[in-house]
Amino acid sequence: MRRLGIAVAFLLLLVEPAGAFRLTDSRGRELILPGPPQRIVSLVPSVTEIVYALGGEGRLVGVTDFCDWPPEATNKPRVGGMLAPNLELLVALRADLVVATTEGNRQETFDQLRRLKIPVFIVNAQRVAEVMAVIAQLGELTGRQAAVGPLTDSLMRRIKAVERAVKPYPRPKVLYVLWPEPLIVPGRLGLLTELIELAGGASVTAGEPDAHPRFSLEAVAARAPEVIILARHGADRTPLSRAPWERLTTLPAVRAGRIHSVDGSYLHRYGPRVVDGLELLARMIHPKAFR
Amino acid sequence: MTTPSPATQLLRPDPKRRLALALSVLGAALLVVAAGALLVGSASVSPRAILSVLLGGKPEGIEAVVVLNLRLPRILVAALAGGALAVAGVAFQALTRNPLADPAILGVASGAAFGVVLAQLFGLGATVVAALGLAAFAFAGALVAAGLVYLIAATDGRLPIQTLLLTGVIVGLFFSSAITVVISVVDFNRLGGVIHWLLGNLGPISGGSLAVFAALSAVGLWLVLGRARQLNLLALGEESAIQLGVDAERLKRRIFVGASLLTSSVVAFAGPIGFIGLIVPHMLRGLLGPDNRLLIPAALLAGGVFLLLADTLARTLVAPAELSVGVITAFCGAPFFVYVLRARYRAIP
Repeated sequence: MRRLGIAVAFLLLLVEPAGAFRLTDSRGRELILPGPPQRIVSLVPSVTEIVYALGGEGRLVGVTDFCDWPPEATNKPRVGGMLAPNLELLVALRADLVVATTEGNRQETFDQLRRLKIPVFIVNAQRVAEVMAVIAQLGELTGRQAAVGPLTDSLMRRIKAVERAVKPYPRPKVLYVLWPEPLIVPGRLGLLTELIELAGGASVTAGEPDAHPRFSLEAVAARAPEVIILARHGADRTPLSRAPWERLTTLPAVRAGRIHSVDGSYLHRYGPRVVDGLELLARMIHPKAFR
Repeated sequence: MTTPSPATQLLRPDPKRRLALALSVLGAALLVVAAGALLVGSASVSPRAILSVLLGGKPEGIEAVVVLNLRLPRILVAALAGGALAVAGVAFQALTRNPLADPAILGVASGAAFGVVLAQLFGLGATVVAALGLAAFAFAGALVAAGLVYLIAATDGRLPIQTLLLTGVIVGLFFSSAITVVISVVDFNRLGGVIHWLLGNLGPISGGSLAVFAALSAVGLWLVLGRARQLNLLALGEESAIQLGVDAERLKRRIFVGASLLTSSVVAFAGPIGFIGLIVPHMLRGLLGPDNRLLIPAALLAGGVFLLLADTLARTLVAPAELSVGVITAFCGAPFFVYVLRARYRAIP
């Protein structure tokens, strides 16, 4: 019996090189590498944030032009934008793994990387639970498994604290504006819809199909939001124009003066700062709960 | 010394010597530009390393990947796409007897782009079969757009310049908005990627796709080049051409299909890139005269030189980021279009 076991183990060794690294990505595809990746390029700002939060930046050799958090990340070599990363630089950086996402990167890039024999690991998160899963995956990839538990525990604790604080209050109807023209809102599949829920609000666009559907102003008026939250984007930190919204004086949110704006980099990325974003949202939706 | 009139130039016997001279000069230019494109890039690779990779000395390592898998395929795509677009330009100009005809201005490129976006929705991508499917969709889109332009603009069998240009612009706009509609309805998240593609961006494509691209371009070139002499006769006017024994309708159909095939394969494998079919033939006509037997092969090489130069600029101007090469060709092409329009039609009230 024991001999059989040794034979099986030996066969397994033949099939797979010793120390092979296996991990399943968010699309359910198994990544198999000869060993743990040592030179990772991140094509996703959220991924860059998570890798730094885990202390795994030692294995990060390249980031995108949009990876601006934490500030140290801007010192890493840049490989261009998310749509068209510079393939020559990826090769020159001797990347042994590229972490990318289906939301923001292009299929053409994945095809080109496959031809260059650079493995790609796809992440995607549309639920808080998936954010935690991505943190765990990146912990595996960067050899920082030990940091995963403490990070996710503290994030979950803070989420629970927000939930407890807003629990006694009724849920106001919230309109979150991802993009004003054309009007784009978080839909059923969007991470933001869940965050608004956790922050004690009821997103008026929670029933829309898709993650980021387009929406019409008339439909907004019909749903009478009580709080409107306008997102700011990227490096543009100037406040969004409230004027177009303030003209809609019949909306409860406008009459009550409850139009807020928030820095989208907290809420549109799924790094650890998403919980900072959740706390901001909760304060806007339930100012009384946080007095 | 007298300069020969255009008509006698066109009917001159075989221009073999001038052709050989033009092709060797342009061929040398293409080699020089290609060598330059091979030398520059974001990854620093020494000229010596490039040479040794090209001679098969270093099959492994970063240098080999950069040279063989990234720069060389991109150079081939640029040279081929530029050549195909310039030949398509010559063909459309001969067909419409109008020097402002260009695959992009006539709306044919937009039709092909619509076909490509549809094909991508069906998931056609990287394999050889999928590449053929992609090219088929693009070709169908180009034929529909070119056919529409022709049917709308033709009055009494003629194609008046203003009507032709306006119809081309309108048909192009129609297909551009059709692309936007399809993407907004199906997957709004992909809009950014599609807009990036619509600006015209060269990238390394797979060996299979490159082979399909080259084969289709060769067929398109054969369709056009094989009737270069008849196209010269067509330039004298359709009636004169028929009197000289040209089957004008058959000729026009063949050129129409060839030019659409050339345009659509470029759109399928390199994206919509504008104005090359306008700039290159016009410059060549200034140098070589209007003989299509000279113009078509010269355009194949000169188009390659032009797009390769534009793409090398696109890769280096804002490195490590990249500009869209379509933006650069349009930046040169739009003023050029105005210049040609003003210079040629100043006399016409």
